[in-house]
Amino acid sequence: MRRWIRIVLVFAGLGVLAFATLHFGVLERSVVAADLDSPLSSEELGKLAARGRYLVVAADCYACHTYKDGPAWAGGLPFETPFGEIHATNITPDPEYGIGKWTRRDFHRALRDGIAPGGRHLYPAMPYVSYRDLTADDVDAIYAYLMAQEPVNRPNVANDLTFPNNIRSLVGAWNLFALRDPEQPDAAKSTAWNRGRYLTNALGHCGECHTPRNFMMAMKRDRYLEGGIIDGVEAPDITRDTLALVGFEPDGLARFMRLGVSSVGSMTGPMFEVVHFSTQYLDDADLTAMAAYLLGEPPPPVKPIMPAKVSVKVSESGQRTWFALCAGCHGIEGQGVPHVSVPMRSNSSLRIPSARGFLTSVMHGIAQQDFPGLERMQAMPGFAEHLSDQEIADLATWMRAIWGGQGAAVTAAEVAKLRSSI
Amino acid sequence: MTITTRALSLTVNGKAVGPVEVPETTMMIDFLHEQLNLTGSRLGCGIGVCHACTVILDHPDGRSEEWRTCITGAHFFAGKSVRTIEGHAQRDERGEVVKLTPVQQAFIEGFAFQCGYCTPGFVTGATVLLDQLKRQPVARQDIERVIHAALDRHICRCTGYVRYYEAVRKVVLATPGLVKD
Amino acid sequence: MSHSISRRDFFKTGAVAGITIHISMFASPASGTLVNNGEPPPADWLDGKDTPRFRVDAIQKVTGAKTFTRDFRARDIPGWPKEQSHAFLIRVARADRVFEGVDLSVLGEDLQPDRLVFAEDLQRDGVSMPHADFYGEWFLVPRGKTPHLLGEPVALLIYKDFDRFDAAKRRIQFDETVVRYGAVTGPNPPPNYGAARYVRIEGATPDAPDESSPIRDSIIFAGFKDDQPQWPQPSRTGDPMARGMAAATRIEKEFAAAGDDALILRRSYTSQSIDASAMETDNGNVWYDPATQILSMMIATQSPFEVAERAAEMLSKSKFAARKVDLKCGHTVGYGTKDHHVFPLFAVLAGLYGEGRPVRLANDRFEQFQMGLKRHAFWMKYALLVDRKTHGFRAMQGEFKCDGGGRANYSMTVGMVGATAAQSIYYLPRSDFSVATLASHAVEGGSMRGFGTLQTMSATEMLVDEAAQALEIDAIDLRLKNVFRTGMKNTQGAVPIGALRNDEILERAKVHPMWTERATRKMKYDSANPGRRYGVGFAHVQKDYGTGGEAAIATLEVDPDGRVTLRHVATEIGTGTTTSQPIIAGRILGRVPDRTFYGVVEWPEMPLTASEQQFTMSQAMEDKLARNPRWTPSFTSPMSASNSAFFLGHATRESARALVRFGLWPAALRLWGRSATAAPSLGYQDLRVVDGKLVAGTLEPLSFARVAAKAHELGLVTGVSVHTFNRWEWAEAEFDVPDGGRLRLPVDALALKYGAGASSSRKSKMKDGGYHFIERAAVFYPPTQLNNAGTRYYAPMATLVEVAVNLGSGKVDVLSHHSILDPGPPIVAELISGQVQGGIAMGIGHALHEYLPLYEDGPGNGTWNWNRYQLPRGNDVAVWHQSAESLEPKSPGDLPKGMAEVTVIAVIPAIANAIHHAIGVRFYDFPITPDKIKAALS
Repeated sequence: MRRWIRIVLVFAGLGVLAFATLHFGVLERSVVAADLDSPLSSEELGKLAARGRYLVVAADCYACHTYKDGPAWAGGLPFETPFGEIHATNITPDPEYGIGKWTRRDFHRALRDGIAPGGRHLYPAMPYVSYRDLTADDVDAIYAYLMAQEPVNRPNVANDLTFPNNIRSLVGAWNLFALRDPEQPDAAKSTAWNRGRYLTNALGHCGECHTPRNFMMAMKRDRYLEGGIIDGVEAPDITRDTLALVGFEPDGLARFMRLGVSSVGSMTGPMFEVVHFSTQYLDDADLTAMAAYLLGEPPPPVKPIMPAKVSVKVSESGQRTWFALCAGCHGIEGQGVPHVSVPMRSNSSLRIPSARGFLTSVMHGIAQQDFPGLERMQAMPGFAEHLSDQEIADLATWMRAIWGGQGAAVTAAEVAKLRSSI
Repeated sequence: MTITTRALSLTVNGKAVGPVEVPETTMMIDFLHEQLNLTGSRLGCGIGVCHACTVILDHPDGRSEEWRTCITGAHFFAGKSVRTIEGHAQRDERGEVVKLTPVQQAFIEGFAFQCGYCTPGFVTGATVLLDQLKRQPVARQDIERVIHAALDRHICRCTGYVRYYEAVRKVVLATPGLVKD
Repeated sequence: MSHSISRRDFFKTGAVAGITIHISMFASPASGTLVNNGEPPPADWLDGKDTPRFRVDAIQKVTGAKTFTRDFRARDIPGWPKEQSHAFLIRVARADRVFEGVDLSVLGEDLQPDRLVFAEDLQRDGVSMPHADFYGEWFLVPRGKTPHLLGEPVALLIYKDFDRFDAAKRRIQFDETVVRYGAVTGPNPPPNYGAARYVRIEGATPDAPDESSPIRDSIIFAGFKDDQPQWPQPSRTGDPMARGMAAATRIEKEFAAAGDDALILRRSYTSQSIDASAMETDNGNVWYDPATQILSMMIATQSPFEVAERAAEMLSKSKFAARKVDLKCGHTVGYGTKDHHVFPLFAVLAGLYGEGRPVRLANDRFEQFQMGLKRHAFWMKYALLVDRKTHGFRAMQGEFKCDGGGRANYSMTVGMVGATAAQSIYYLPRSDFSVATLASHAVEGGSMRGFGTLQTMSATEMLVDEAAQALEIDAIDLRLKNVFRTGMKNTQGAVPIGALRNDEILERAKVHPMWTERATRKMKYDSANPGRRYGVGFAHVQKDYGTGGEAAIATLEVDPDGRVTLRHVATEIGTGTTTSQPIIAGRILGRVPDRTFYGVVEWPEMPLTASEQQFTMSQAMEDKLARNPRWTPSFTSPMSASNSAFFLGHATRESARALVRFGLWPAALRLWGRSATAAPSLGYQDLRVVDGKLVAGTLEPLSFARVAAKAHELGLVTGVSVHTFNRWEWAEAEFDVPDGGRLRLPVDALALKYGAGASSSRKSKMKDGGYHFIERAAVFYPPTQLNNAGTRYYAPMATLVEVAVNLGSGKVDVLSHHSILDPGPPIVAELISGQVQGGIAMGIGHALHEYLPLYEDGPGNGTWNWNRYQLPRGNDVAVWHQSAESLEPKSPGDLPKGMAEVTVIAVIPAIANAIHHAIGVRFYDFPITPDKIKAALS
């Protein structure tokens, strides 16, 4: 999520200046109702704050607005972009650098319209496109919670963007394409499904990473949740058929979001942080609801994987690498070691058409991760330096065939391309 | 299931080993212990966490690298050159130690260990660090940081790290060319 | 406290059921780089005099030589076959249901074991667990029974070759289909291990006799109803236990009657079970040769006698005929939890079924978590009564529970030692500490660094810190007000031996900048680091050392060329005893021994019998047995209880002193001749060592070799062997020493060797291993009542620690720490410093990182390793920001204290106290994890 600002800036950099200036701001529609001008009493704020605490977790605000080991909510997490660096802001109630002076309305406008006090457009690294679907009550609760936090008098780090990307109003133009009216509850679906959709799309803003982007770099609504690529890392397709293909049933999916690890593998990279800061704390009911939405009602059946054919030459090469570098942790037959290493024979990264996620892990490894509860996995080393493109390709082809049922061979060229791109 | 073996040849402490038939699933640490009777690289966790089992992989271009033998298959080292703890000090023809390496000397003079089970891993890790610093010298104020970066993954249970780290710093400062001024 | 099981049978008969026993530390045949018993140490290991430049075993350890039992295979052991088998155990991951059998189909045909052993085989062959009340009912769970504990073995698999062993083990290890279970029965632990209570009420003054105390009356023992101890009925006129209970009632009343003039603080604490994580896992090679009927073993253990005797006992009752048991140990036993553990007996079991081949049984780390001894989890309820005006402690109550798991082992003793340590460094006029040691289906706890005191003293130090806050006074001032001083009685009613210097330590801590500047440092740090909070914590503990039944033997001998040989019972567990013992001797003799032998168990010069009932024997019985001048309460002790520097060192010191007194000094006098008689005031105690030469007063310095040669020429004493025994005091005895008259020495047995020039009549007395065993004329053993003392030897240490708490992540960073200790005169300063640094690291792990669930999700399920179990790393221990200072010895006569365990403890409560200073929240259960801190902050 945090990284796709780059994409927006690509767009901004495309110089649609003319088009944008044409409509300059005039067509921007606010979803913030007028009745929100009345401030909340301190009693109301007090009551709301408790619920707000849960919502900021579900919305995963902390991950972006707190730099590593830094003071909570004081901002500063840098977003590397080709056009320079921008920084998440201080959202503590500090009057000088935080949101201490923000009114209830200011806050609603920022979250749902993407416009901060003074008409300043937020960069869409802030997922207001998704937060637009938040209910007014929930936004009030989030506001109440943040306002109750300890103010931290920490200046925001100045963004460092090149012209024309530093013209915020351009974003206003972009909003015309990206923003749309909030989703309404679907009466045809269950309450759980609707709750799940709200948690997934609005609060969790999952679509921001997991949805491919159109030429305007806005989410392709027609291909929602079909997977995207951020900084070379693949945010996989999480639509119902793919989830079923990689072996998820509703309970398993809910558990995966709570624990970050299961027989299909472990959450890695940015998604691990989502579990770390957000989904592990969600109620069972909410996780079940998200699973109901993502897998649909009723969920598709999980089909057993049928091994695909693979040449003797490739399987010899793949197996040799497997025994040399993989089997020591993942088990001779890929069965994994409980609480130590994930099984590969049921690993989701082998069961999907794209080999990108799998190759990325093999080449660059995975950092040590502390999962909820008593789960912890040591780092997986990256083997890019120690294996040739062909060896990696053979390993991937062999493993995907026997354990993932994916017959398409991975080529050395693909590996080479990925090597250079990351 | 039958055990499939494959011929393995490699260089260990400068001597050619093999070809010897080794099961394709055998881990390097078991090859060292059971077949070569080199038991100085110690089994601690068996899952690549504690680094008591590490050896040096010497690349043809002169780079050296630390490898965990408890999670790496023996056949990975086919055709490669490996330095185990037994191969650091100079020995005479009878195998007696005649000269320790600077790292080993600093460790014994610093009373860096008690039981000594983790010592081979620390010698290996520190030796690789010195090799890296020869290529990329470090600024004085960064020495402690690079020592942590190199050795934090090594577990010592009885002597609390201080004497290992201090001994390594001593060697780094005493060896010309490792520190930028 | 008992660190020993009865060895009466063995020593009475010289063998168990006629099986002779031989034990030795292993002298390896392989290349000379090995630690080789009797090999001279490296030429340059000394600084030229009597201080080591490095450990005697340093070169071996830094070059990867075979130093641990784990490094050895049959092929490395002389006289053993070169081929060997490898074995592993299948263990249960569930202990709440019936074990029905194992299904090995997952192995296919090729990987089936060459020998498969079940409980039924053992029953048929008469192989049963020796001392089942200590080690557990059975080796292997019989089909149809519910295991007693998680991780209990059910089957033994033996393979003739390593490759198939390796492949089979990796297939089976985590496969949940292998062990078949039946009906769910619920856990099936042994009965609870026992309950003990220590109640004391002081007399009119601290010096007056106690009104009641364990020493005066008795330790109070109780049985159980469910998990509740059933204490005896109180009665002021009843038996000793009833009187103790009456005292407990009075203390209870005092709490009830306390008014506004008193502060009553009631708190509960928990301390988690942890894994010792000794780097060397339990392992051994065992070869049973039916042809020769010899059982040869090489097993890692801190209690070789115990292992050899239990093995002999096993065989004597089984179908496996044996006439000799031979046990070897590696030079070093990998740092802890190998004292009286059951694993070596499983290694023996594997050997018995090896069909004539040596068998190796060696835990991997998962198996070590599953089977290795654990630190006991403690649940502790405290009540403290403090006078608000004087700030003096009036009374303290502590009610403790600990979980010993599914094998008895030393759990009862650990609980008792924990209770006797709860007073920490305070004098308590009235105290009532009780402990209930419960059995469960958890992996068993046993003898582990801290031995129960870590848990209780940590809690006390957190309680006192909170009391200071409630009383609004400085936490160190409150400690000073109540500090345990020399001459005061401990909670058992015993007066500790030697000077207690806790007050000096407190005075030093009080003026340390980390303490005096803590407020300003906090202000500075907190404002400079938003989102982080700084805190300083202090704690101060004293740890008992020794067991109250410490026995040792040492023999020192000098040859005509002045070469010295030391033979000793000590073995190396890493702490450096093989380095320090020769140094001890060298500083007395003027020459560090040239040759050393450790782990020696054959002592022909010490023809003693021992009953090994030293903790339980009645005074009458001991008096009767002691009339035999060749009897001793205990022959020798295992390596444990921080016993090397002081207790094992005592044997070294006394043999060296005797060698000087009866050999070197009179020889030197003769060399000095007239000039010595000119200075009649000089005595043997005036002999000094200067630059390696022996000098006295202004007399001519003599080379050691010259003096040695003279001693031989004159037939003076050239070899001394002593046996020592300590029951919270040294046993003493009187000996008629030739030319020395009747002398009283702090040893209970003495043997001398005379030089070549000795008269034939004198030489004829050297009948015992070439020594003249001098039957004592009288012996003075410390009274058996001292068994209730708990301890009289304390080693103190205090630690100040600086931490920073991250409010967002809840992570605690240890920024720096400083420790103050009283180790006595250091033998080798670097070894003590290494102990302190290592102990503190272990303490940091206990306080912040290390955690194991006790039961189904815990180590017994066989899936635990160091990825989930977080050991402290270099980044966690403030490597560059730690320091320690030692009190200077009070007098030259001061002796070194056992520091190995105390170093771990103080930092634990200090960290908890520092976290409170940092964020104003007190935590009562360890470890203090980021999750707990986050929860507390939100």
